[in-house]
Amino acid sequence: MNDAAERAEEVAADSAVADEVGHVPGGVTAEGELVAPVLPKGLRRVPRGVDEVATEHLVVNMGPQHPSTHGVLHILLELDGEEIIAAEASLGYLHRGIEKLSEHRRYAHIGTLLDRADYLSGIHTETAFAMAVERMLEIEVPEKAWWIRCLLAEVNRIASHLVWLGTFGLDIGAMGPFLYCLRDREQLLDILETVTGARMMFNYVRPGGVLMDLPPETEPMIRKFLSTFDKYMSEYDELLSGNEIFLRRVKGIGIISPETAVAFGLTGASLRGSGFGWDVRKERPYGIYPELDFDIPVGSVGDCWDRYVVRMEEMRWAAKLTTQLLDGMPAGDFTAKVPRVLRPPAGEAYAAVESPRGELGVHVISDGSDKPYRLKIRPPALYNLAVIDEVLPGYKIADAVAIVGSLDIVLGEIDR
Amino acid sequence: MALDRFTGEHSTLFIRSEQLFDIARSNSLWYLLFGIACCAIEMMHAGGPRFDFDRFGIFHRGSPRQSDVMIVAGTVNKKMAKSLRLLYEQMPEPKWVIAMGACASTGGPFRQYPNVVLGVDQVVPVDVYVPGCPPRPEALQYGFMQLQKKIKLETEMRLAARRDRA
Amino acid sequence: MLPDVTALNRVLAGVSGAKVLEEGPGVVCRVPFDRVLETMKALAGEGGEFDMLVDLFGTDTGEAIDLTWHLRAFGKDQEVYVRSFVPYDAEVASVWSVYPAALYSERETAELLGVRFPGHPNPKRLLTVDEIGSFPLRKSAAIRERADYARPGVRVTPKEGGDADE
Repeated sequence: MNDAAERAEEVAADSAVADEVGHVPGGVTAEGELVAPVLPKGLRRVPRGVDEVATEHLVVNMGPQHPSTHGVLHILLELDGEEIIAAEASLGYLHRGIEKLSEHRRYAHIGTLLDRADYLSGIHTETAFAMAVERMLEIEVPEKAWWIRCLLAEVNRIASHLVWLGTFGLDIGAMGPFLYCLRDREQLLDILETVTGARMMFNYVRPGGVLMDLPPETEPMIRKFLSTFDKYMSEYDELLSGNEIFLRRVKGIGIISPETAVAFGLTGASLRGSGFGWDVRKERPYGIYPELDFDIPVGSVGDCWDRYVVRMEEMRWAAKLTTQLLDGMPAGDFTAKVPRVLRPPAGEAYAAVESPRGELGVHVISDGSDKPYRLKIRPPALYNLAVIDEVLPGYKIADAVAIVGSLDIVLGEIDR
Repeated sequence: MALDRFTGEHSTLFIRSEQLFDIARSNSLWYLLFGIACCAIEMMHAGGPRFDFDRFGIFHRGSPRQSDVMIVAGTVNKKMAKSLRLLYEQMPEPKWVIAMGACASTGGPFRQYPNVVLGVDQVVPVDVYVPGCPPRPEALQYGFMQLQKKIKLETEMRLAARRDRA
Repeated sequence: MLPDVTALNRVLAGVSGAKVLEEGPGVVCRVPFDRVLETMKALAGEGGEFDMLVDLFGTDTGEAIDLTWHLRAFGKDQEVYVRSFVPYDAEVASVWSVYPAALYSERETAELLGVRFPGHPNPKRLLTVDEIGSFPLRKSAAIRERADYARPGVRVTPKEGGDADE
């Protein structure tokens, strides 16, 4: 006789005496039905000890206040013990209507809102918007404006990746790299502040060019930064890449196959980490990127380690690009002649740039007035984040932190 | 701090025990690590190597149960407001709130969107408002200094209020 | 980068009512809203090979919602837009089975513009709370006026001629 049948018989025998003692232990019948226990007075449950086999699924809310969710991400995790059964992101804790408010702002005022969408890389969002408006207005942007835009974009890319590196290390449990990264980022913010006047919210790239020319002290500042950056990069590499704990937590964790990556619309380093070498700067060249000499680092397996390596290499390439951009900086105008109030003709345009998180596109629909009829930001981080539904199940709960950290999300841009 | 009746100066010698607690509290303000939006990056920089808030005893904690100060760093919308209130209620007394940035103070650039709460003071009581979008870490530091001043005066203000009532 | 119109017409031969036009941002396939899933299957399959959904968004035109799916074929390096006018309160079949990338953007579009996507495996609210009432991205949804967000006790002097705050 097997255990289940034996147990069912016991249950039946117990129910026979239930009337007399007022107590049925409960259990599972042979048909698989659950019998609720009838308890003696004064007891809330049957004292039965700890069952070391049966476990029930537990739903854990990770966030919105959690040190490693990079803002206000809220992930619902269904757990069986330590293992993730299902995962879902609950967004909207930073939904503040950037797209809606853009419909009520003039073109010149929208940069203010777009900076706050992806607050780690404002230059990129501004550039995408400026490109879309320029396409509609058919403005010829002076060459120097593009050199300045690309220079600041690469500086901003390093700054953004440094935050990612620091917080990724923090997620895994390494406090040190965070402090080193912020030390370097302060220098980058100083550079950006010298050029644009603000540490984070630049509003510097305008349709037609940029707000003002590069101040003369920019070049020595950037060169000073670049002279130490390579040394510091190898320092970070040693701090994390040589750390056995770090390696164990990222290698082979969070594997995203190229098919999954394409199906979920991943772009940027998350796509390239899966071995799919697609970069907007190469495939849909804009600005002066065709004239520059750079490589696209590509991973092979698609785990957290590959995404980490790709981003580290991207930082090194961004530093090299910055040198090229400084060396080749031409003379000339920094902005084209644009009217004070922009009125693009009725129509639409889509422009995409390679932001630190992936393909950041801005789709502007105009009805001929001085305000856009509809403005849509293509948020790379939203599509990168959507993949957690597919990737997280099967891994342990501690890996969720590593996987989300490796995707490099910015909630401002996801929720908009 | 109390006035020394012999020298006429402020002194820690003639001080109530509550005031001693106030001074101690004001020099170890542990804030809740809770960044909402753009201001959170400046908050991170404030804890970073250049601004180094650690030297004022201002340090971040991951759990609201261990924090004294909540820095609301970013736009609060209707979905966030519920969680924010919950976090505030989880913090042990005495507790303070700093509204960092324009969004947390009034709704900032997003105040026109109906989903955005017009200032975090509609959800939790706020002690110090730090203007800016986002405020620089120096501004946050100044906000903390104002909060320290406020905390040091807390007992004195309470006693003064009691005297006035009597 | 732009796909061939005749080739696309051949791919969409089985979809009744589909028109391929060169307008707006590039090549646009106009389809009736009840044929969207069919169109996507045709475009993702043989002959189309559009393997990635870049973006999905809707525009309120005043009479209907104009939904746009932005597709990309990596192999052929082509991009195409699929567009469909959806009357208010009509339903569009979810395309998540063809492009899983639509899972989150469909939820976002559903609550911001009020388009329903039957067949979506998890049709919950994504961004807002129930209390918001209206669909914020529709043109009929108003934003706050100055009187709504002005703080009590703060005097607001109206600006002369300027509308930076509109």
